[in-house]
Amino acid sequence: MLNIDNLYAKIDKKAILNGLSLKIKPGEVHAVMGPNGSGKSTLANILSGKQGYEISGNVSYENKNLFDLAIEERAHKGLFLAFQYPLEIPGVNTSNFLKTSLNAIRKSNGKKELDALEFLKIVKEKASKLKMDEKILNRQLNVGFSGGEKKKNEILQMSLIEPKMAILDETDSGLDIDALKIVANGVNTLRNKERSFLIITHYQRLLDYIKPDFVHVLMKGKIAKSGCMELAEELEKVGYEKL
Amino acid sequence: MTNQIKTDFDKVIKYLKPPKENINLRKKSLNKFINLGFPQKKEEDWKFFDLNQIISSNIKDLKFFDKELFDKKNKILIPKNALPFKLFEHNKIIIANGAVHTIDFRYEDLKKINITNTAKNQSSNTNHSLAYLNSAFTTNYLKIIIKKNYSLNKPVILYNFTNEKITSTNINQRLDIVLEDNSRLNLINLFTDYSSDNFININHEFKVGKDSILKNYKIDDKENSNIKYFYNNIDLDQNSLVENFILSSGSKFIKNEINCNLQAKYASAFVSGIINLDGAKQHEIKTNINHLAENTKSYQLIKSVLNENSKGIFQGKIFVDSIAQKTNGYQLSKALLLNENAEFDGKPELEIYADDVKCSHGSTSGSLDENSIFYLMSRGLNHKEAKKLLINGFLLDVVEKITDLEIKKLIKEIIGVSE
Ligand SMILES: Nc1ncnc2c1ncn2[C@@H]1O[C@H](COP(=O)(O)OP(=O)(O)OP(=O)(O)O)[C@@H](O)[C@H]1O
Ligand SMILES: [Mg+2]
Repeated sequence: MLNIDNLYAKIDKKAILNGLSLKIKPGEVHAVMGPNGSGKSTLANILSGKQGYEISGNVSYENKNLFDLAIEERAHKGLFLAFQYPLEIPGVNTSNFLKTSLNAIRKSNGKKELDALEFLKIVKEKASKLKMDEKILNRQLNVGFSGGEKKKNEILQMSLIEPKMAILDETDSGLDIDALKIVANGVNTLRNKERSFLIITHYQRLLDYIKPDFVHVLMKGKIAKSGCMELAEELEKVGYEKL
Repeated sequence: MTNQIKTDFDKVIKYLKPPKENINLRKKSLNKFINLGFPQKKEEDWKFFDLNQIISSNIKDLKFFDKELFDKKNKILIPKNALPFKLFEHNKIIIANGAVHTIDFRYEDLKKINITNTAKNQSSNTNHSLAYLNSAFTTNYLKIIIKKNYSLNKPVILYNFTNEKITSTNINQRLDIVLEDNSRLNLINLFTDYSSDNFININHEFKVGKDSILKNYKIDDKENSNIKYFYNNIDLDQNSLVENFILSSGSKFIKNEINCNLQAKYASAFVSGIINLDGAKQHEIKTNINHLAENTKSYQLIKSVLNENSKGIFQGKIFVDSIAQKTNGYQLSKALLLNENAEFDGKPELEIYADDVKCSHGSTSGSLDENSIFYLMSRGLNHKEAKKLLINGFLLDVVEKITDLEIKKLIKEIIGVSE
């Protein structure tokens, strides 16, 4: 699905990723943990197409060079990033935005665009599964949303888009215990043999619910250690310094 | 210019045949204009908009007389698509090539509205050179009085139409509107120009009586190469309210000047607008909000979206007289620069002589947020769609200031903003 090979990234001459390699097969769930500033969000952003980095190395997505694809093409082809800090977009109605986004992706895949009624039905159903207040759909996108509401809104988008490769950047940070379960459940419902996840987190708790197939530690811009759930448990006890 | 303007003036008088005393008024105005000339950038109010220079470099041999301006109305064909008559039910005034073409108040009680349309104009209450130019040359003096206690049933659309026969010409228009006490009027000025390279000088003077409400929406959206100056003077009496909205987009050059005189307590003025430009267009909104009595209120919100090498200007002034205690004055301007060659000039001004007042102003300008664009694109929107969504979002709150729902819908359609 996603094959990252020896990826280097710099911004303003500052090296952030230093030869990172990671292979994610269809259906696998990978967790990435690592200290603040180690480059986790940078990795997620580069995969989604954010500009401004000096990049070397190879990344293939579904056996094609990911860097050949524009930002929106990556989204059209099933790549999704739940942002660590979702942006507030004043004046843009949340529900309208979700519909525009979903229809742009559907259209590019040759699917029929949803009309307002069809969309409303689906979005209401998905929002209620995430225990989101429907009223939020009529507010301006993320504007004044609480931290947890923003994160849930990202998961709502993921559940609407049903991506092939979802990257969640600290979606669990700032969520209360109930919300955490709901979000984990959102991931688990989407989980199947074809769909892959890259879950960036600082906490074992989310992983207890999701049970990833692999856990990696990202330090100083590369994968310092890989393992399974036990690695996350060990990190929780001893921290990163002992690695 | 002097010789040309004088011979043109004589021709105008010959065609118009105004009464003798009016010829004198016009002559006096002409001489004052000749003395003062077109405003230049050395005048403080015109420092961002050098009209003299703009006219001389954009209009070849400006003339002040053109037979077309006096053409009988049946000769002026107004294209069907120029006038969206089916919009919503409304009264209409059509001004074609600067002259009154149609007045149709079919939805109203005509005993409650007094309309005069004559060549005999009144002098303006301002002593600005362009007001003199207007007084000297205007073809019609149109005056509408809405009688006491009358609220119009339907809005009035003032269609301002010019055809392609008019070029390199100065067109002057004058309209005075009086709202007697406790009356209401919604007026939409819609500009549809097929002409090019003209200087259009429009003078509107309003008197808004006690407890009356005037809503005035000005839409200049059709692409054209004319230069326009709008002078609006609005006198507000006790407990009256004025809502003014400007969509400034189509013409090559526009300067929109709005003076609101809050002359008695509890009067309020709301001025909002959008300057949306591309190419080398240059538009200015200039306001003078004069708080002249206690407990008056004003609110101004201007948003500019500037593409390519266009230039947007907002000069907003709040003046508070020493007797105008408990004034509430607010002003905000935000500009979005979509190109490094686009420019925005803002000059907010507060001049306050009373001590118990609440006044504030703010001005920001900047480009689109790259991170927001990235966020939207990561959800499948292409760059153009993401940009459009952000611009719409930027403009939405100012459109929401429009309280007339039909007009709000119309303006949203025109600029392509949806909720
Ligand atoms: N635009 C930028 N300019 C300069 N430095 C940057 C920029 N973006 C990221 N960095 C730096 O790169 C490093 C990695 O940042 P990144 O956001 O990827 O860390 P992270 O692993 O996601 O951290 P956290 O756990 O705190 O979210 C940090 O030191 C950060 O300051
Ligand atoms: Mg991060």
